[in-house]
Formats: sequence, structure tokens, C-alpha cells
Amino acid sequence: MSEQFGWLLVWGTVVGLDLVSVGQFMIARPIVAGAVAGVILGDPLAGGTVGAVLELFALDVLPVGGVRYPDYGVGAVAAAATAAGAPGVLGTGVAVCVGLAVAYLGEVGMRLVRRGNTTDVRRYRAMLDQGDLTSVVTSHARGLLRDALRSIVVTALGLILAIAAYRWPPVTVQGAVLVTLVVVGTALGAAAGGVVRAVGRGAGLRWFGLGLAGGVLWVVIS
Amino acid sequence: MSWLRTLLLQASWNDDRMIGVGSAWAIEPMLRALPGGRNGPRYRAAMARATQFFNAHPYLAGMAIGAVARAEHEDLPPETVRRLRHALVGPLGSVGDKLIWAGVMPTAVGIGLAVCALTSPIAGAITFLVLYNAVHLVTRWWALHAGWERGRDVSRALTARGLKRGLRIVGPLGALAVGFALPVVGEWLARDFSLRAQGNMVLVAGLAAAFAGWLIPRFRGLRFGLAAAAIALVVGWVW
Repeated sequence: MSEQFGWLLVWGTVVGLDLVSVGQFMIARPIVAGAVAGVILGDPLAGGTVGAVLELFALDVLPVGGVRYPDYGVGAVAAAATAAGAPGVLGTGVAVCVGLAVAYLGEVGMRLVRRGNTTDVRRYRAMLDQGDLTSVVTSHARGLLRDALRSIVVTALGLILAIAAYRWPPVTVQGAVLVTLVVVGTALGAAAGGVVRAVGRGAGLRWFGLGLAGGVLWVVIS
Repeated sequence: MSWLRTLLLQASWNDDRMIGVGSAWAIEPMLRALPGGRNGPRYRAAMARATQFFNAHPYLAGMAIGAVARAEHEDLPPETVRRLRHALVGPLGSVGDKLIWAGVMPTAVGIGLAVCALTSPIAGAITFLVLYNAVHLVTRWWALHAGWERGRDVSRALTARGLKRGLRIVGPLGALAVGFALPVVGEWLARDFSLRAQGNMVLVAGLAAAFAGWLIPRFRGLRFGLAAAAIALVVGWVW
């Protein structure tokens, strides 16, 4: 992984910026971030697998306004770096644990970025209230740079954590199976619970049930 | 130019003015043509109004930006411009959240996850990106143009038949797509496990859904995942 560290750092930074500040093209969704990180690492299946698990957790969050944003995208990059090269799904559980921890770090970083932006706006308050373009551009550019810095730092910390988890796995093979089983089960349950909460008890719940029945039928007959 | 700038609308998100400063940065190119140009009093007064508190769904914020720019060009009284801007905060937020975050997003994610499980992770990622951004980019473009075209009557754009129909369809579609994806992805993720382990995974999923959906709905998302991961790691380490 050390040869791809630079590319992963660049990808994690781009992903971190996409979360809120630049575009929101949703390359920050773990399903994308993890798969691309897997390609960079030469193991797209491992990257895609951990990306899919983290995506299930991410389904539980509606990224509205001032809500806390866990940075699942950068988490997926770190998780892919942990899982790449591990046999089968053995690495998945520990990798997702790394991804969740990094997502939390990203969320803490986002709070710091917003606090910094608020300080800037208060500092330039008088100029902003006079319609001064320089203060608008300065506040905006500083916010962007702050978020870029957050993305770089969180990605770097995530990759260091990934290297540590890969070199010194915290669990045995048996333990890795258990961890994978629990995190994947929890992710599926969290996604289902999130959707049920979001759609309420009306027609949305019936559509969800219909989809669930269709999915189960597909699994049974395929 | 303003359309491109709406892509960076949230870069200076802050607790005081939320996306107020970002919306001022995005509207600025549209205000340059005001009488007096960039050094004129109307430009500065319009910019001063634009930097105040504002919040909306980022994809639909362009509608307020376009409408306010039009109002400034029509030289409407400052209080009217201010009221127009404030009046759009709630509707643009709620319509955007319902349409995009609670509709288009779960639909695209559900389809992307299913494709990921049934074909390959890269195909899943591409499917998701194409589906999502087709709606995303068109919505941003439409919002800015509708705002500029309709000016202070912009609220009519929010009651357009196409938008109403879209709002009715995307919610159930998202629920259907995620519902279908969950068992398909679950089976794909459990591909290397024994039948007994798969049964245990379903049990864990059921318990997690009960906790996240009904029993302790506030304890969810990342914190729920972290707690489950921590317990699994400790048990796995001891085992």
C-alpha cells in the first residue's frame, strides 16, 4: 500500500472536498470512494465490498443543512486500504471498523472547519455588511482551504490507521470472521432501520416492503 | 459563471449566516451588470444584502440566487428583496430535502448497490454516479434559470406540475430501490460465509434494525456502527 499512499491521499482529499464544499457530485459516497480506492490499490472487489458496507451505514444519514456529517467517503478510502489484499472477506470487518473511526474523525474535523468559518465571518462582519467583495472572496476561499486541509489530514490519519491495522491485525482469523459478521449485519440493519424511519408508516413503508420481498425473491431464485 | 459558482456554494458554511456568504459569491457575476458596475452603489448595496443569512438545499439555492438577481436588476425596494430571499429559505430547503436527500439519493444508492452486488463494484459506482448526477446537474441548472426567468414570482416554479409529480414519485421509488437492494447486497456480502453464519448475520441485522428503527431511534448512524464495531472487536480479540 505504501506505493499508492500518494494517490490515495489525493483521492481522499478530493473525496473529502466533495462531501460539502465542492460540487457534491457524490464521489464522497462510500460506494464510489471505496470502489475507486480499490482500483488504485489493485483490489476493486475489496474496495467495493467495504464501500458497500459503509454505504449501508451512510444511508442512515440525510445530509441536511447543519447536520453532523460523518465523512464516510474518506472512511471508505481508509477501509479499502485496510482490506486490499486480505483473503476473501476476512479483512472486511476490521476494515469497516477503521472506516467508521475515520468517518468520525472527518465529522469532528468538519465541526472545526465550520467553527473556523464562523470566526472568519465574525471577523469580516463589518466589511461583509457593506457588500465588500474582497471579504466575500477571502471568507469563501479560507473556508475552502480549511476543508481541503481537513480532508488531507483525515485521509493521512486514516491511511496510517489502515497500515497499522493491516500490519498488526487486532483479531485472529476466527475473530475477523465474527467482526465481519457483526458489522455487515449491523450495517444492513442500520440501513433498514433508517429507511423505515424516513418513510414512516404509510405508503412508503409498503413500497419498502415490496422492494424487500422482491429482493428476497431474487436471492432465492437466482 | 454563477451556475459554476453554485457548485462551491457551501465552502464557507458557518453557524451565523450559513450559506449567506457562499450565495453572495455565487450571485456576484449576475450583479456586475447593475447600473454603475462593480463600483456603483447599487452593486455594493445588492452585495451587502446577498451576504446576509441564507440557507436552502444547495441544488435549489440557485433558484433564490436567480430570483434575487432579477429583483436587484428590476430595482425592487431593498425590503422586498430581503423578504423574497427570506421567504425562499423554508420552501427551497424542504422541497430539496424531500426531492434529493429523501428521494433521488436513496433511489440511486439502492440501484447502485444492487448493480454492485449483481455485476461489479465499479459498475455499481458508475451507475450510481450517472443516475444521481443526471438529476443533480439538471436540477441546479433548472433552479438558477427558473429563478432568473420568474424573478419575484419564483414560488410558482416550486408548484410546477413536473416538480410535484417528481416529489410524489421519488420517495416511494427510493424505498422500493433500497428495499430490493438490501437482501441482494446482504447475500453478496455474506458470499464466503457458511449457512449458519449467514443465519447469524440475518439475526444481527434484525436486531440492529429493531434498535435503529424503533427501540432507540436516537442512537443510530455512525455512533450505532461504532458501538457495534467496538463490541465486535473486543469479542473478536478475546475469542
